[in-house]
Amino acid sequence: MPDNRIKEHPVLDFDRGKEIYFEFEGKKIKAYERETIASALYANGIHQFTESKKMHRPRGFFCAIGKCSSCIMKVNGIPHVRTCITPVEEGMKVERHSAQPEIPEIEPEPYPEPEEKEVEIAVVGGGPAGLSAAIVAAEFGGDVHLFDEGDSLGGQLVKQTHQFFGSHKAEAGTRGIDIGTDLLEKAKEMGVKIHHNATVLGYYPEMTLTVDAGGKLEIYHVKGIVYATGAIENYLAFENNDLPGIYGAGGVQTLMNEQGIIPGRKVLMVGSGNVGLIVSYQLLQAGVDVVEVVEAMPHIGGYQVHASKIRRAGVPINTRHTIVKAKGDYEVESAIIQELDEDWNPVPGTEREIECDIICIAVGLQPDNHFLRQAGCDIEFVRELGGFVPIRNKDMETTVEGIFVAGDAAGIEEATVAVLEGRLAGAAIIQRLYGTSEDTQKEKEKAREGIEQMRKGPYGQMPRRGVKVCTIDEEVC
Amino acid sequence: MTDSAGVVIIGGGVNGTGIAYHLAKKGYTDVIVLEKSYICSGASGRNGGGIRQQWSTKENIKLAIESTRMFEELQKELDTDLEFKQGGYLVLAFTEEEVEQFKKNVSIQNEMGLDSKFINPEEAKELVPELNISKVKGATFNETDGTIYPFKVVHGYAKAIKEMGIDVREHTEVLDIEKNGDEITAVKTNKGTIKTDTVVNAAGGWSKKVAEMLQVDLPNKPYRHEIMVTEPYAPFLDPMVISFHHGIYFSQSEHGNIVGGIGNPNETEGIEQRASLWFLKTMAKTLVEFVPRFKGMNMLRQWAGLYDTTPDAQPVLGPVPEVKRFYQVNGFSGHGFMVSPVVDKVTAELILGETPSMDISDLSITRFEDMDIEKEYSVVG
Ligand SMILES: Cc1cc2nc3c(=O)[nH]c(=O)nc-3n(C[C@H](O)[C@H](O)[C@H](O)COP(=O)(O)OP(=O)(O)OC[C@H]3O[C@@H](n4cnc5c(N)ncnc54)[C@H](O)[C@@H]3O)c2cc1C
Ligand code: FES
Repeated sequence: MPDNRIKEHPVLDFDRGKEIYFEFEGKKIKAYERETIASALYANGIHQFTESKKMHRPRGFFCAIGKCSSCIMKVNGIPHVRTCITPVEEGMKVERHSAQPEIPEIEPEPYPEPEEKEVEIAVVGGGPAGLSAAIVAAEFGGDVHLFDEGDSLGGQLVKQTHQFFGSHKAEAGTRGIDIGTDLLEKAKEMGVKIHHNATVLGYYPEMTLTVDAGGKLEIYHVKGIVYATGAIENYLAFENNDLPGIYGAGGVQTLMNEQGIIPGRKVLMVGSGNVGLIVSYQLLQAGVDVVEVVEAMPHIGGYQVHASKIRRAGVPINTRHTIVKAKGDYEVESAIIQELDEDWNPVPGTEREIECDIICIAVGLQPDNHFLRQAGCDIEFVRELGGFVPIRNKDMETTVEGIFVAGDAAGIEEATVAVLEGRLAGAAIIQRLYGTSEDTQKEKEKAREGIEQMRKGPYGQMPRRGVKVCTIDEEVC
Repeated sequence: MTDSAGVVIIGGGVNGTGIAYHLAKKGYTDVIVLEKSYICSGASGRNGGGIRQQWSTKENIKLAIESTRMFEELQKELDTDLEFKQGGYLVLAFTEEEVEQFKKNVSIQNEMGLDSKFINPEEAKELVPELNISKVKGATFNETDGTIYPFKVVHGYAKAIKEMGIDVREHTEVLDIEKNGDEITAVKTNKGTIKTDTVVNAAGGWSKKVAEMLQVDLPNKPYRHEIMVTEPYAPFLDPMVISFHHGIYFSQSEHGNIVGGIGNPNETEGIEQRASLWFLKTMAKTLVEFVPRFKGMNMLRQWAGLYDTTPDAQPVLGPVPEVKRFYQVNGFSGHGFMVSPVVDKVTAELILGETPSMDISDLSITRFEDMDIEKEYSVVG
């Protein structure tokens, strides 16, 4: 079997942990204890994880962060397990299953009453926004529980090997990965109770959360919630867009920068926003060939510095181009790209076939906030923020009292703003529960100032306009 | 902006779009359908898709038999697969009273031409081998009952009526209805006024509110009703299984998901469509009591919709005495999807002044003036 694990990387060291073995459809497979099932399979050259419901088409992973169900498999007899966020274990049995698997036989007591607990503050999501909110709320004395469905925390930050150069002093020049690790350390230090592999399933009136804690249902009655689940990657419609080998940019980052596994040999990047450009550069760093970047807009979407870096490395960026088709029987073998005219229609005769085994989709993100809709928060479509977002006040509190939102879940921006929004929400939730104080007020003002600063830059214009239409001019206290 | 229409239909559910469909089929397209949210946002997009003909009152049996036949035809008319699966309905009895009532129901149903039968618990187990029959006292079964995919029906109607030239306006909420004496003059919406003399109230759980705009007092009361879907599994459940005693129903869709709901006896009247923890726990427990093997399944989603209930659990149909050309198509009490084809057809006939192909005058609002109305017993949830 091939081994697609990265052996040497200019910036990253991969601490994969102990070597272990598990079983995939009867075959013994080598893995490392810090890998997920999906990445261990991928490292061994297995790219098809499931099949589509009706047409039985092969499917690989897509998001690699538990948000798309494209990677569900049968694990130790239980079907529908999201293998991209499930850690691999010694002796585990993993199989593919059809769209309609048998109901598994489970032996233990059918109905242990779910455990019900009362805690003060629940933070949902352990990315930069969630961690920051948890840290600040804990600093001000809150009893904070943080839930994340992943095995490791840090959210999208731990995948960012590049240096941040936001105008916010604190983080400029630091690599995202280090910011993520620092936040996690700080949260632990502050006494935040961290729940890994814990998926928050839903919200129930009033202020109750259900949590899938590794297959066990837990119920939390809380006083306040900060919701910071980040974003979901956008998808593109084109022929054969479900072939294994077509992955979200975030998915590629997770596989490559977090798990240390190369996604393939030759990549077509779709989208030249900062994510597309940065991931292209990261692919080059990992020794992967980026054949071309296509961009539907007439100009490059991201920062010039990022574009120049990959151009210098010889990667062409073709604006006014899009992907129209992927080719391959079981996996991507090539892609057809085509030029677009001024009305965004493909120009006949300009089709070009590009040989590649990976098509990386980097066409933006949309806020992940289904939970807030379930909780009855008012939601508004704000194009500038990437889609449907909750209406919030100046303290990031939604229209349901006691439920706050921060980071990409509130609107697509970037990590520094996510940190600051988290801090703002962390201080504000303390005010909501215990009333205002000079310190919490100061913290809020500092965070808001930082956000203002960030939104003054050229790329802050969009979110700046966006938040205007969905922010109510009020504070918690 | 003021515009006008021959008929304004309030509600973009199965009945609102269905009535428009029957009007259009008859060549009448001077119709505007108004929906305050999106098509199928009400109970029509939130129900279990159950199609049952096993009822206790003659009215409901008659409506359901004819509607089931029409659903079969609709598949061809709309030229889409409506996922109409006729796996039968298995209605379980848990008390002696239920056994008595069920036997009565079957004899009325048979009299009306339905092939339903009363069976013993062992026969029920043959139909659903995984069923726990330890407390089951008997059952009725009718093999032409089944389930349909509600979204495909409503979106099928919506597409067809648009193609035939009917104006469907989503995100347009009716705020008031104006009249002059006992004649309707206009409908006021959040997006302007529409002149009309004919209004259809197919607003589901909001019907009482709509009728109030014309000072018509409907006895309808909205109640939340919750429902869930599991992850998909290999096909193993043919019929829809229901119990009035527990207020539960569940079936397996074409995709393999179990879809089912259970009524909360302590539910209070009102427009509440959020999901509850009570439902999550109770549904999970009860499902496993019915079919122990279900303990290995995962629930995928839960949601809620509104039952628009009436004192006798039968719909309110046809004109009202106080206002001319104000047609009611509401109060379905949790079974409005399955009877919609015939109800919608007859409503269209009434609007156009034709002789109705089925007499539904017994279901007019005036029946509530009468004290001894006949109650439908076979209501689930
Ligand atoms: C959980 C659940 C399970 C069910 N299971 C079944 C089943 O298995 N089988 C079955 O036959 N029935 C079932 N039912 C009942 C069935 O869904 C309803 O009876 C049926 O869908 C009613 O359709 P409708 O078109 O009359 O109303 P709805 O589908 O509720 O449509 C009414 C529409 O009117 C709109 N509206 C309201 N006020 C205004 C206004 N002022 N202006 C503009 N628009 C307005 C609403 O937004 C809504 O979309 C179930 C119901 C629920 C809630
Ligand atoms: S959920 Fe695993 S790839 Fe998206």
